[in-house]
Amino acid sequence: MSTGVTEETGERALIAGLVGDRPGVWDLAGEIPTAVLRELGRQGLLCAQVPERYTGRGYTSERNGELTAYVGSLCSSLRSVMTSQGMAAWTVQRLADAGQRQAYLPLLTGGKLAAVAFSETEAGSDLSAIGTRITEGGDEVVVDGAKVWVTGASYADLVLVVGRCTDGAGVVVVPADAPGVRIEKVADPLGCRAAGHASVRLDSVRLPSSALLGGGGQPLPLLVTTALAYGRMSVAWGCVGILRACLDAVTEHARTRYQSGRPLAEHQLVVRHLAELLVAEQSATRVSEHASRCWDGGAPDQVTATVLAKYLSSVHAVRGAASAVQVLASAGATDGHVVARAYRDAKLMEIIEGSSEICQLILGQHALSR
Amino acid sequence: MSDTETASADEAEISASLTRYLHDKLKVEVAPDDDLFATGLANSMFAMELVVHLEQTFGVMIEGQDLKLDNFRSARSMAGLVTRLRS
Repeated sequence: MSTGVTEETGERALIAGLVGDRPGVWDLAGEIPTAVLRELGRQGLLCAQVPERYTGRGYTSERNGELTAYVGSLCSSLRSVMTSQGMAAWTVQRLADAGQRQAYLPLLTGGKLAAVAFSETEAGSDLSAIGTRITEGGDEVVVDGAKVWVTGASYADLVLVVGRCTDGAGVVVVPADAPGVRIEKVADPLGCRAAGHASVRLDSVRLPSSALLGGGGQPLPLLVTTALAYGRMSVAWGCVGILRACLDAVTEHARTRYQSGRPLAEHQLVVRHLAELLVAEQSATRVSEHASRCWDGGAPDQVTATVLAKYLSSVHAVRGAASAVQVLASAGATDGHVVARAYRDAKLMEIIEGSSEICQLILGQHALSR
Repeated sequence: MSDTETASADEAEISASLTRYLHDKLKVEVAPDDDLFATGLANSMFAMELVVHLEQTFGVMIEGQDLKLDNFRSARSMAGLVTRLRS
């Protein structure tokens, strides 16, 4: 037990050392230094659930969740890159054959960076409309399509591209420098500005058939749900981090800032914001913990629990960040400030990996089917 | 009983257990050969739940090439998958 705590302190110190006080600067610049990402990658911290036999850290979902929340409390852009890398690793774990797992997973824990490309201009919430084609022929596959808003893609060495195969769907591991690949950064995203969001164009990209995970032919809905399950869990914990950062900033400010001769903490309407933030942080933590424990225990409920956690955490993060900006007011109303970042970053969390409305539809159907 | 007969008996039992599970979850009668995807009974969330259910109930890992649509079309094809993964 004590070893675990020491390890946890060690990894947090390492992350804090690499991140320092720079998330505000990264936010304004729209970029995280690649060296920081590669170092965290080499430490296996960007996808800590990869099993030890593939040189990963072998964390449980719950432990990785706490790590994700910690990174999320410092910098949601970095946490988004972590979500992408973890989702890529999970997709490989789930869909790849033994040889591909052996080939790709050590890269993902060895400093290479990866992104997962789902969305297209005509396929956002409705991923069944995906038009990207994976054509299999002999010992090679050819990929054609255009993906948008791929988190982490501007940093990625490998892009996992979801597309249609002759039968069903598949995921191809595309090296970012393969001929026919064009990656273009999204200019000025609303939030998670340094998360490397980019569009990815694939024009007749030819790759050996070993790049098609598990030989392809998986059902598209199953494939998408599998990959997104990890992403949703990660976003849920990331939002816990946003709420923790907001709670810290607001309590500190309320203690030290005076208005009308009294600290803000003695103004009842401000205290209400504090109480609501605490409730939000605790609720988000508890539902995320529950979903992670379902995941770790292999409970079939994990699917719904993960959607519920993502939904609740992101909705709370949006509200919590708004009230944090309200309390800090002019002190927090400049870009780069922790609560200003939280305000913009949280809104994106309500959109990605299944918007709040998609989550509501899934949860509503679940309620009806019980 | 020969090994083959034991295997097919197991498979029938797994198939029966799966039709009960499907009935319980989907609230409709499901025959062992009903195509869950073609009939729209299964959505993506349920497909994932099925994978986890099979893994937990029958102690198998379903990864890579086994995550093919054909393996999940019906209770009978899932039973075939589980039997194959166990052997």
